[in-house]
Amino acid sequence: MDYTVQDDETLIRLVAQERADALSELYDRYGRLIFSVAYNMVGVYGTAEEITLDVFQRVWTNAHRYRADRAKVSVWMVSMTRYRAIDVLRREGVRPERNSISWAELTIEPISPNRNDNPEAAAATNLRKQRIRAAIAELPIEQQQVLALAYFKGHSHSQIAKILDKPIGTVKTRIRLAMQKLRWLLKDESIAT
Amino acid sequence: MSTHNHALELLPAYALGSLDEDEAAFVAEHLVDCSICQDELDAFESVVADLALAIPEIEPNGDLKQRLLVRIHGNGPTAVPQTELSWRERLELFLQVVKGVRLWQPALLLLILLLVVSNLLLWRQVNWPAPDIGAGRMQAIPLSGTGPALEAEGYLLVSADGRNGALVVDNLPILDGDREYQLWLIRNDERTSGALFSVDERGYSGMRVTAPDSLFTYTAAGVTIEPAGGSPGPTGDKVLEGNLFTR
Repeated sequence: MDYTVQDDETLIRLVAQERADALSELYDRYGRLIFSVAYNMVGVYGTAEEITLDVFQRVWTNAHRYRADRAKVSVWMVSMTRYRAIDVLRREGVRPERNSISWAELTIEPISPNRNDNPEAAAATNLRKQRIRAAIAELPIEQQQVLALAYFKGHSHSQIAKILDKPIGTVKTRIRLAMQKLRWLLKDESIAT
Repeated sequence: MSTHNHALELLPAYALGSLDEDEAAFVAEHLVDCSICQDELDAFESVVADLALAIPEIEPNGDLKQRLLVRIHGNGPTAVPQTELSWRERLELFLQVVKGVRLWQPALLLLILLLVVSNLLLWRQVNWPAPDIGAGRMQAIPLSGTGPALEAEGYLLVSADGRNGALVVDNLPILDGDREYQLWLIRNDERTSGALFSVDERGYSGMRVTAPDSLFTYTAAGVTIEPAGGSPGPTGDKVLEGNLFTR
């Protein structure tokens, strides 16, 4: 079977049947993304590797629980990655200040094509990334700030309020407004399956 | 503000993972029975995943894939080492599974509940540990049926910091309209009400536990049958009981 032509949901069904090659194909598609999310949150290479391995292991053991009507495979995996990274950050107190990142620091980097990407697909991916970054840039700075603290450092509302010396209600409102606006701006964007 | 509207407001932060524990527990419990909020959460989680595309990509080590394949092959596809679930995943899975247990034949309930909770919170352990104030993780404390409800069972879920809890019960008899069940948190001679509830047609219910103090300060818990609306103190038959924390 040529796994490279199967869509993500089919791959998950095959993983649920313990087809390791299907998991391997998923790794080829999303391994870099998962690792990047993990690394940009925990800032430690080895820890990011462990989180990546953990996420794909969970895909292997929990593929039968995946529900396509709830979320795309990529969304499911990114969610798992963030929860694991947040767990690590909160449990181990990892605060990689030297690797801190804010939305404003993001730049468009040349996209290294995935193994199977053709130039058109790579360009489409780059364009989508630009649109997502543009959407983030449309947020007021104070909303970008709380979003970055929550997204990259896994801080809770109360922690962000303490860091910024703002009322917790202000933090909650900013996060809610930021996410609602991004939802509206990104309603046509999505991670490709 | 209604429970539903309050949960709706918290969903964006829940998708980000930035809620404090008590609010996260509240939302997780609400999601078990609210498909509207679940759909909204799905949409916000999609936004969170899209934000990942804005992150600069970093190439992992070339051997990472091979390490993954060794992990899943080395111990056999059905024997992958269990990795620890995050706090949120444990709570969501616990509430989802217990909700699903309502649909199973009564003869399987005890076995399923024990298997699920032991896998969630007693990873790689066989025996129930005594509740531990210093555990640093969420704990599920079993409650045993007693009196007129010997086949009933329950679990008191306590957050890692002891400030929040949830109660899940099963196999309790359905009460007539002028009576309800009431949870008591016991400390010395004090009995503090923690929840008031009824059960569904299968004898199941799940609810948040409220207490003026940390749950770590209570040494036992019990559920009794009381007049509808509750009592200032236990008056009726006890149906569930269990030991909590020792000092």
